[in-house]
Amino acid sequence: MVGFVLAASWLVIALLAPWISPYDPLAQGAGLYQSPSTGHILGTDELGRDVLSRLLWGARISIPLAMLLVGLAFTIGGTLGGLAGYLGGWVDELVMRGADFVFAVPTILLAMAVVAALGPGLLHAVLAVVLVSWPGHARVVRGLVRTTMQSEYVAVGRLLGSPTHRALAVDVLPNVAGPVIVLAALETGNAILLLSALSFLGLGARPPAAEWGSMVSTGAQHFEAWWIGVFPGLAIVTVVLAFNFLGDSLRDAFDPKAIIKARGA
Amino acid sequence: MFLCLGVSLMAFVLTHVVPGDVAVANLGDRASSDPVAVRLYREHFGLDKPLPVQYAVYLGRLVHGDLGESEQSRRAVRTDLAEYIPATAELAITSMVLACLLGITLGVIAAVRRNRLSDQVLRVVSLGGMSTPQFWLALVALYVFFYRLSWVPGSGRLDAAVQPPPRLTGLFSVDALAAGQLDVLVNSVQHLVLPACVLAAFNMGLFTRFTRSAVLEVLENDYVRTARAKGLPELTVVFRHVLRAASPPILTVVGLAFGNVMTGTVLVENIFSWPGIGQYSYRSATALDLPAIVGVMLFVAIVYILVNMVVDILYGVIDPRVRLA
Repeated sequence: MVGFVLAASWLVIALLAPWISPYDPLAQGAGLYQSPSTGHILGTDELGRDVLSRLLWGARISIPLAMLLVGLAFTIGGTLGGLAGYLGGWVDELVMRGADFVFAVPTILLAMAVVAALGPGLLHAVLAVVLVSWPGHARVVRGLVRTTMQSEYVAVGRLLGSPTHRALAVDVLPNVAGPVIVLAALETGNAILLLSALSFLGLGARPPAAEWGSMVSTGAQHFEAWWIGVFPGLAIVTVVLAFNFLGDSLRDAFDPKAIIKARGA
Repeated sequence: MFLCLGVSLMAFVLTHVVPGDVAVANLGDRASSDPVAVRLYREHFGLDKPLPVQYAVYLGRLVHGDLGESEQSRRAVRTDLAEYIPATAELAITSMVLACLLGITLGVIAAVRRNRLSDQVLRVVSLGGMSTPQFWLALVALYVFFYRLSWVPGSGRLDAAVQPPPRLTGLFSVDALAAGQLDVLVNSVQHLVLPACVLAAFNMGLFTRFTRSAVLEVLENDYVRTARAKGLPELTVVFRHVLRAASPPILTVVGLAFGNVMTGTVLVENIFSWPGIGQYSYRSATALDLPAIVGVMLFVAIVYILVNMVVDILYGVIDPRVRLA
């Protein structure tokens, strides 16, 4: 419940940012390094930009991108995992070994290498995160599909001669949807964390974009003016917390065992 | 073995196929505008040869334990790794121990007191740990405990005035203890506490959640009721009967969490100026230092495989059924 409310309010903020933010997020009108006051509730940064406005506008970057990349990662990972689970054999072997390789390398190392090679930028960072996060989805979907495949109605469907894509879409998909939604919620949180970490390292969003990770990184260079970095960080915490809460309560609502098993843990 | 080959191939292809120009990234502006310098650079690192040849040469050296030469430090990658690994090991092991102790204890408490106030509080704490960006937590911790309160020294592994202890393991705290240098030990532990705690936060949350659900599952079993009916103290029931039965899934998560630690070290080491693998890999990645990147990836993959092998062996120790199977 808490998670749902928090996530929903961030979505609203992202939608309404142009109307509710008190200043232009890029305007450098105010004095520099102003501590939080009634004029600037969260203070101003090293260029005199309003921190609150930048923070609200930042929601328009982090949240849609996180959803986009979870969508992409799920489409790729889910399709591959579904095929691997349904077809088995060498397809399964190929997909799962590929996933193992990605799993064995810490996400950020791989992501850093990809971004460094492509050149820094938000879209490249998104690509990198997709590249490192599809195996998680593939594993879960494969595990679920394999479990579902053992049920009799799928066997009946196969006997009746329904083609692969139909069997997957009609017989298998509805039965794996619940856990997959939970996973998507949890993954969205992680995606936001990783994306903002890349921006923090200077590999994602570029200044002057109001992205939370890079705002924290600016704050790190201006230690005395703690408000520059602390509030964008808090924004990340609340958004990620919202998705984690959401995933956690959804997991209790669906069958918890299925997810833990499918995650291989 | 197969996995190592795969990781090296993947890392190799990934970093070579992409469009960035290595020579330009490493030579700097002036030198990269000079075609002769670029050509010499490419020849020195074998970059002028076709990709399969480069990979074959690399593999040939790899079986001899040679990871190539770092294009940035101009030293053997193996030398670089040997220098940075102990620092990261000290940090990562400390944080894992902290995360396991705290996470598993809190998870047991949450499960035993399910749906009561303490469970709800722990839920917020553990999910909070998993939701906080490590780079931000590191900065806030530095700001509060170093800048404001001055409870801990700032960055690095030791104060500038303190000489590192004679090298035995490369873990300063262990080496200092072995050499009997108490002042160095205290100093290194002071430097270690804050980054280790920051690094432990995420995994602590993760372990709490998993321990809770694993313990809850076991608590429903009949033998737990039997143990209680026998009149065993609740602590004995929980730690001797329940936790043992619940430990395989917890162990799995602990094994997988080593990946999280490596991700964390990249951020935490950069913020705390901790001279370890995390900082090294960040420098190498931004400079497109291919031998170094591939070397780090290989090393981490090997550690990951070893850790999960140990986890598999531990299953057998905990669960006799696995041993028989």
